[in-house]
Amino acid sequence: QAIASRSTGSSILVSPRQKGNPILTLLRQFAWEYSDIPADYVLGQTTCALFLSLKYHRLHPEYIYNRIKSLAGKYLLRILLVMVDIGNHEDSLKELSKTSLVNNATVILCWSAAEAARYVELYKSYEHASASAIKGVESKSYAEKMVDFVTVPRSINKTDAVTIVSAFGSIKAAVNARPEEIAVISGWGEKKVRRWCSVVDEPFRARK
Amino acid sequence: MATEKWYPMSSANGDRQPVKLSLPLKYQQELFQELREKDELVILARGLGLLRLLTNLLHAYDAAGNNLILLVGADERENGWIGEALAEHAAISMSPKARGLNVVNTDAMSVGTREKMYALGGIFSVTSRILVVDLLTGLLNPEIITGVVALHADRIVATSLEAFILRIYRQRNKVGFLKALSDNPEPFTTGFAPLSTMMRNLFLKNVSIWPRFQVCVAQSLEGKKRAEVIELEVAMSDSMRDIQNAIMECVEVSIGELKKANSGLEMEEWNLDSALHKQFDVVIRRQLDPVWHRVSWKTKQIVNDLSVLRGMLHTLLTYDAVSFNRHLDTILAAHSPPPGSTRQTQSPWLFLDAAQTIFTTAKRRVYSGNSSKDGAEDAESLRPVLEEQPKWAILAEVLEEIDRDLYFNPILRDDSNGTILIMCTDTAQCRQLREYLQIMHVHLKRDEDYGEEGEHDASAAFMMRKKLRDYLKWKKEFAKISVALFKENQAALDSATATRGPPNQSLRGKAPTNKRRRVRGGGNTGTGSSRASNGSILASEDRPMEVATLMSEIQPTEEEAAQKEDVVADPLDDMEDYFQLYDMQDLVVVHAYDGDMDEHVLEEVKPRYIIMYEPDTSFVRRVEVYRSSHNDRNVRVYFLYYGGSVEEQRYLSSVRREKDAFTRLIKEKSTMSVVMTLDAHGVEDPQEAFLRTINTRIAGGGRLAATAEPPRVVVDVREFGSSLPSLLHGRSMVIVPCMLTVGDYILSPNICIERKSIKDLISSFKDGRLYNQTETMFQYYKSPMLLIEFDQNKSFTLEPFADLSGSLASVSANNASSDLQSKLVLLTLAFPKLRIIWSSSPYQTAEIFESLKTQEPEPDPIHAVNVGLDGGQRAEDQTFNRVPQDMLRVVPGVTSKNIKNLIIEIGSLKEVANASVDELEPAVGKESGRQIHRFFNKNVLDDD
Repeated sequence: QAIASRSTGSSILVSPRQKGNPILTLLRQFAWEYSDIPADYVLGQTTCALFLSLKYHRLHPEYIYNRIKSLAGKYLLRILLVMVDIGNHEDSLKELSKTSLVNNATVILCWSAAEAARYVELYKSYEHASASAIKGVESKSYAEKMVDFVTVPRSINKTDAVTIVSAFGSIKAAVNARPEEIAVISGWGEKKVRRWCSVVDEPFRARK
Repeated sequence: MATEKWYPMSSANGDRQPVKLSLPLKYQQELFQELREKDELVILARGLGLLRLLTNLLHAYDAAGNNLILLVGADERENGWIGEALAEHAAISMSPKARGLNVVNTDAMSVGTREKMYALGGIFSVTSRILVVDLLTGLLNPEIITGVVALHADRIVATSLEAFILRIYRQRNKVGFLKALSDNPEPFTTGFAPLSTMMRNLFLKNVSIWPRFQVCVAQSLEGKKRAEVIELEVAMSDSMRDIQNAIMECVEVSIGELKKANSGLEMEEWNLDSALHKQFDVVIRRQLDPVWHRVSWKTKQIVNDLSVLRGMLHTLLTYDAVSFNRHLDTILAAHSPPPGSTRQTQSPWLFLDAAQTIFTTAKRRVYSGNSSKDGAEDAESLRPVLEEQPKWAILAEVLEEIDRDLYFNPILRDDSNGTILIMCTDTAQCRQLREYLQIMHVHLKRDEDYGEEGEHDASAAFMMRKKLRDYLKWKKEFAKISVALFKENQAALDSATATRGPPNQSLRGKAPTNKRRRVRGGGNTGTGSSRASNGSILASEDRPMEVATLMSEIQPTEEEAAQKEDVVADPLDDMEDYFQLYDMQDLVVVHAYDGDMDEHVLEEVKPRYIIMYEPDTSFVRRVEVYRSSHNDRNVRVYFLYYGGSVEEQRYLSSVRREKDAFTRLIKEKSTMSVVMTLDAHGVEDPQEAFLRTINTRIAGGGRLAATAEPPRVVVDVREFGSSLPSLLHGRSMVIVPCMLTVGDYILSPNICIERKSIKDLISSFKDGRLYNQTETMFQYYKSPMLLIEFDQNKSFTLEPFADLSGSLASVSANNASSDLQSKLVLLTLAFPKLRIIWSSSPYQTAEIFESLKTQEPEPDPIHAVNVGLDGGQRAEDQTFNRVPQDMLRVVPGVTSKNIKNLIIEIGSLKEVANASVDELEPAVGKESGRQIHRFFNKNVLDDD
């Protein structure tokens, strides 16, 4: 679990261009101050963000290119925080996907000012966080893991997981059980039995 | 086969070959002729023998020989059935050229073998995923295909693999035949002009609709050879009705909660009434599907609850009282609160009085306290009640009636056996009935004292007593197991409540004390469930003394002891020694409804009497077809159902829905034909129209380089489950299916794309897969991209319905890192160079890919395949079977690093489960090996 480290000393830097953006009133978690920066928001040593509303982008398509150019290769992570506030967004988004590839920017979409503010705050608060939360290391009790394991094949649910393991005593026994033995358990219909038995016996690799 | 017909037909080389068909009824013959003559979509009512039609058709082609015919969309069981039927046909008509069905359904068959098989020709049923790859790689040349038959046409939507296959086939082969079959009319009626859309996907111009009420069908089935049907409405017992009502109340409240939590959604249709009729949990799930990634955790839980409740409605009618109670016990245990939960995080229905009613009534059907008048708790003891299912008695009566009937008019000279066939929903039900029939006339000594007439009544007392004994034994063990399993949860919960609420109950759940009952007060009927301190229901415990008296009450009597133990699972080892064939003459056969297999059962058993223990629309039709097909077989059908129950409603609504669907289809067909004649282009050659729309775009884009070399995309073969490859192909890109280790789509030597649907995204964040995939992409490619693809019909946003109110604080601290947005943030922080593509649908993705590829060199498939492979590995070694791997990934001790070794060193899950620590050690190391071993071998029975 990543603990949001609060770098209390530093605050979010905001470009004066953003004056009047509703995001600013929604930034409550962190202190922010205006500062003369090329980006719209500076969210850490190497992280910055440009804010773009699609409505504006449609009227002034060249704006965002100039802004990206003005970053001039600074910052490692350059977020393009795009607010989707129009209905037919397909063409604009297609173009921005291409742009992000060419100009080294990462597109993040949001659908409201509140969500945009949340992203801004998240980037700031995770400034020094490790990526362990997305590396898939979670500690869970045996029961939860057991249920997770048994319920991977579709259509097998939590109750089934409990019944099969309690009927056979252990997961190993459940894995080795014969189909006829499983079919006796309440709740285990033919389909489930067939799926379970085929999955545990199926080789991981398709043999040629 | 009763009526057979010699059907002369000419094969390609002109010689005449007689073919024997087995289509006795007029409508079947007509339909067959029609299908032979032209390409069309046939929609037949359920139970009218679609598979029989198909096998006859295939046999006609098979016997002609010298062709290559593909069967698309058949599942595994159908393959078996069709294969058998074809072999049978071939034997009957003794056609030298018939070769039967070739099934290609696993990757086990190597590329070389497949190529050889295709070259030989014949009839093939190929799994779509394999077929599409074979067509794209040129292993199977579309031009040499004689024809394609698509089964389950209702499942072929524009983006499906089958539609992709048909498109490739039609693009390259304009002369081969194409026929589509379906016996499921409902999907053709949802959406805008669904039938014509469907026809376009299938590249077909004609549709032929055959409902039960079609004149020809009705005439064939309603002649003088109709089956005799006796309908029996059975009343539910009072307690069953109480439980059903209580469940319905729970459903109502759950739906109310859903409405409250998701006010933005359209939910007028969600009411109790529809709940009785349809598979309401599925309907609701489908309604929520577009926003599924946005709904709160709680909504998901309630939707799950609804499935559980619906299951309960079904089991109430099918399980016996003891098994039902046992089932409820398990449900309760599985829904026991997770650690750290509060009232808010639990299933709302568990808090209702109605839930209490369900559990106490279910228990009272099994045993109850001898509530003494003075009300003193200690004076009471438990006494078995053992309510029997009302249908059992009726079944016994029916059997007796049949017996009498057989006695009075003994030999009705006809072709059928004297067999009695009992049909019910599933094998569990079969087992229950079999057991009941065996034992119903065995009586307790005591009962005989009551008088003579008691002797004749069938009773399940024996069976129920045995079940109760098993149940009590099971319950003792189960209590231990659930303690073992959920002890940690309970402890966590207890400490939580102890600090919060009054500490008087903080020991609850640790030991089976009887304190709990006293809390409830008023010892009315044995023991019900009691409530946990936070208000949800808690599994009840009986006092050991009471259980002991109950046990002694139902000790096996002499007669019971004399009964042999029933065999639940017979390994059939010494078949020869112990078994012999029974004479079909006087048998009672119990069978479960099994779709098209039922036809076979009827033909083989040739029953004189059929008892439908539960209603089933298609089986009624099958009996009709069976009866009409055989002049000399008499059938009497008994039809049992519970009045006013879910079962009855479900049957009625399924009949109604099918009829409605057909009516609408006929209406649409009548208007559709006009459209077709007017707009000849769109329908004449749909694939051309399709390409035309796309080609204009390319021309406008000024892609001059493309004319020299068509744009190419390397696609991982595992990606063919999604619709994207099909759409890319539709945009005239060349699809190169390859086994990729890194990435899903390779657009250019630099651009590698990992595609994630929202569901995948969530799960791959959870198990850390995405992190590793991104890491490896960065090792081999310059511009790795993550494609976040929303579904066409899903709402294009990640925002949850829950109030964000803009600040981190509003999302509780432990939740902050668990939602999707924050994980995305972490991912981009970890990989600043990772580009993210947001796409609202696969269609949009195809466009984006196209624009990304412009001015980029084409990718090299051979390089793409070799990327990420370790020295000695070959591409063919790459893994295919997803589900067992996903399961393995959940096992503690398995990490993203050692899973590769495990998969290579050890063959399957079963082998991993049975491996010892020493065997696991070389693959994963000592510590992980021990963890894995412990996970599989932990015994919940002995509490360690």
